[in-house]
Amino acid sequence: MSETVPIVNGRYSHDLLLHDSDEELVDGTAWFVEQGLESGGQVLVHSTEARVALFREVLGTHPRLEYGLDEDLYLSPSRTLFAYQRKLAESPRPIELWATGTVPLGDDAVGHPAWGRYESLVNEVLGPYAFHGLCSYDTQVLPERTIAAAKAAHPHVGTGDQRTASPTYQHPADFLADPLAGVPDPPSGPPGATMTIPGVHHLRQVRGLVRRTCVSSSAVARDTVDDFVAAVNEVVVNGLHHGGAPVRLALWVDPARLTCLVTDLGPGIGDRLSGYRYPDPDGPKGLWVARQLCEDIFVGSLPDGGSGVLVIAE
Amino acid sequence: MESLDRRPTDWGGHVALVHDSERQRRIGVADWVRRGLDLGAKVLYIEPEDAPPERSLLGVLEEHALRVDVALADGRLEIFAASDEVYSPTWQEGVTDQALAVGYPSVRWSGEERTAWSVMSPARHTEIEWETDLLCDTRPVSIMCQYSAHLPQAALETVCAVHGAGVRDSQLQALPTPEGLALAGSADAANDRLLRSMLVARAATAAADGGRITVDLAELEFLDVAGARALWTGTTAHRMSGGTVRLTRSLPRVDRMLRLLGVHQAQGFEMEDALE
Repeated sequence: MSETVPIVNGRYSHDLLLHDSDEELVDGTAWFVEQGLESGGQVLVHSTEARVALFREVLGTHPRLEYGLDEDLYLSPSRTLFAYQRKLAESPRPIELWATGTVPLGDDAVGHPAWGRYESLVNEVLGPYAFHGLCSYDTQVLPERTIAAAKAAHPHVGTGDQRTASPTYQHPADFLADPLAGVPDPPSGPPGATMTIPGVHHLRQVRGLVRRTCVSSSAVARDTVDDFVAAVNEVVVNGLHHGGAPVRLALWVDPARLTCLVTDLGPGIGDRLSGYRYPDPDGPKGLWVARQLCEDIFVGSLPDGGSGVLVIAE
Repeated sequence: MESLDRRPTDWGGHVALVHDSERQRRIGVADWVRRGLDLGAKVLYIEPEDAPPERSLLGVLEEHALRVDVALADGRLEIFAASDEVYSPTWQEGVTDQALAVGYPSVRWSGEERTAWSVMSPARHTEIEWETDLLCDTRPVSIMCQYSAHLPQAALETVCAVHGAGVRDSQLQALPTPEGLALAGSADAANDRLLRSMLVARAATAAADGGRITVDLAELEFLDVAGARALWTGTTAHRMSGGTVRLTRSLPRVDRMLRLLGVHQAQGFEMEDALE
């Protein structure tokens, strides 16, 4: 039997609530909300419109209790992740935030890995703050793999006197390397464009090539293309400054998805978690900004040495 | 054939072409001569007496397929060997006035910093650069001085300070305005030093008139993290001593970059809403 552990106010916690009935969900949520209100912190309960109505009925109102809709707050994993980070990091006064809800994984299992990685990265991104999360997963409807990923992404499971350390929890860097994380490979087909980038004076050419290729061969919104171009620009700058020549770029453009692989032959940034933490005022910010300009960025090593950074927008 | 960006901005006056490579310099010079001849201007160029053919103006123009035999023969293009005399403001004024007197609508001068430094000290050259603004203010003259982007930061700041009509490189133009500075083109990791230098130079003069400088971003098409950092660090001293920096008319993507980096919340910055 694992030992029961309480949530510590003022610190970070990220818990998993597995339930197979509405009753379990409501009970667990009510306990968490009570903890939050008692701590003096702000509490956010987010869910679908129907569930929010249910919670409102049971939990009532409180000046520090807020209800939110997933369709407003959980649009995409990267947006949600950095929105929480900014809220906590940029608050003029320290705040303690308690958030609970069901992460909207999407209707099919395709979106599950992206939100699974989000769950794990929450530990890296929000770890330094007084943030508490309780994420509910319905074991009746969700596939086993998704539940396994949730267990690996949450340091603790259960609520109240059932709250224990998750035995299969993995550090985010390890989680990203695990097949459960579903990190995509670069597309297997031939790239639509490639370029070798000798130096920063070729950045403008890089941006021109990426923009032209994306605009001519995809139906992705113009703003998304602009952001993608800016994200690729930052990743290339990183490669030129910290990587080993030659820095190369390969671009795959589908009607709804843009993928760019930037490689170099240096030891590279190596750390899969680079650019997630809120940056120091004078520290590097390129990758942190780039991560907020696209859907996903994966940092890794190439099989035959060097490093590769995969930038994806949709 | 490659050419520099063309912007609506009129690049008359005393301007610095800051080049990162010989290739960029040559493109910039060829473009400038072509534009001068197209405008009917008299084009005057100073180079070392012993300039090797591949570095000489004629070499550059030939490389860019610009035929100037006729212009040379009829005096529309004139090349001077560098000497103490040709850098004297009085002499330049005389040559300029002569050209204007015979009917040229305007006059263009250009040369490299290293040419000047072969006949005088950099300090003396800087003094002349300060006086050169006056020639441009009083006559239809465009003077484009060529400088290497690899100069030390302090020297680059001086270059920015002495050119009343601003600085440009192959992708960015920074033009002083009565309120501050207008930027056009792209500001990225390739030219962040130049942008920073321009801001330092401009902020230094603005401190005297009320402590507020306005940076007009309407023509700035792209700004990356390095460029935004230059906007930040180039104005740090100004903002920390109570000055303000107003960033206006940015495109949505430029606005987005600035906000992601928290510029809108930083001390001394004022940000207008982006252009739609």
